[in-house]
Amino acid sequence: MAKSLLLICRQSPWAGPPAREALDIALAGGAFELPLALLFLDDGVFQLVADQNPSALEQKDLQANLRALPLFGVDQLYVCQRSLAERGLNADSLVLPAHPLDEAGLRALIAEHDQSVTL
Amino acid sequence: MSTLHLLSHSPFGDDRLNSCLRLLSPGDGLLLCGEAVQALRPGSQPRRQLDALPDDIALHALDEDLLARGLTEQLPARLQRLDYPAFVACSLAFDKVNSWL
Repeated sequence: MAKSLLLICRQSPWAGPPAREALDIALAGGAFELPLALLFLDDGVFQLVADQNPSALEQKDLQANLRALPLFGVDQLYVCQRSLAERGLNADSLVLPAHPLDEAGLRALIAEHDQSVTL
Repeated sequence: MSTLHLLSHSPFGDDRLNSCLRLLSPGDGLLLCGEAVQALRPGSQPRRQLDALPDDIALHALDEDLLARGLTEQLPARLQRLDYPAFVACSLAFDKVNSWL
């Protein structure tokens, strides 16, 4: 049985490569059918905001990668409720259906996975 | 499963420590290395947060990073100062290590 991996994404897509790198890990893991879950924490929740225009900064659109996640079998998506609220965001208006978790839920999520990494 | 959270960024002007502290479960551990040891500065806000951690959270720091920064006085009584072999042993004492990259 493969070890389960929790990827914690806490960087904005506008803050450099880590947001893309976390999604690359998720897509690669999904392609190899690793049991993995994604948690969007802190500025990482900005990855899930709809109607962004990276082309205005001549950057690639990460949302295509996000939408590919379910196709690669990565459907365990979680988002920190507090991080959303702090940034004026709502779980209902995200580009992907991520399950909002309070702090007890976050602690349980980390505890139940075999491995975790925070980017 | 217990988690050792590994931090290497300064807590000043960075949210990693704050977020990490909110996600700790009983039995978890915190290991400070590199600039993260600055959180142990006596009188600082991050130090007050570390002092307020429950007793069931183990607190470790890499000794050479403390020494390099002159952080040797007024350290928390429960702080465990580690050399590299002890760092490795510590990482094995938990079910997993979560590195806050």
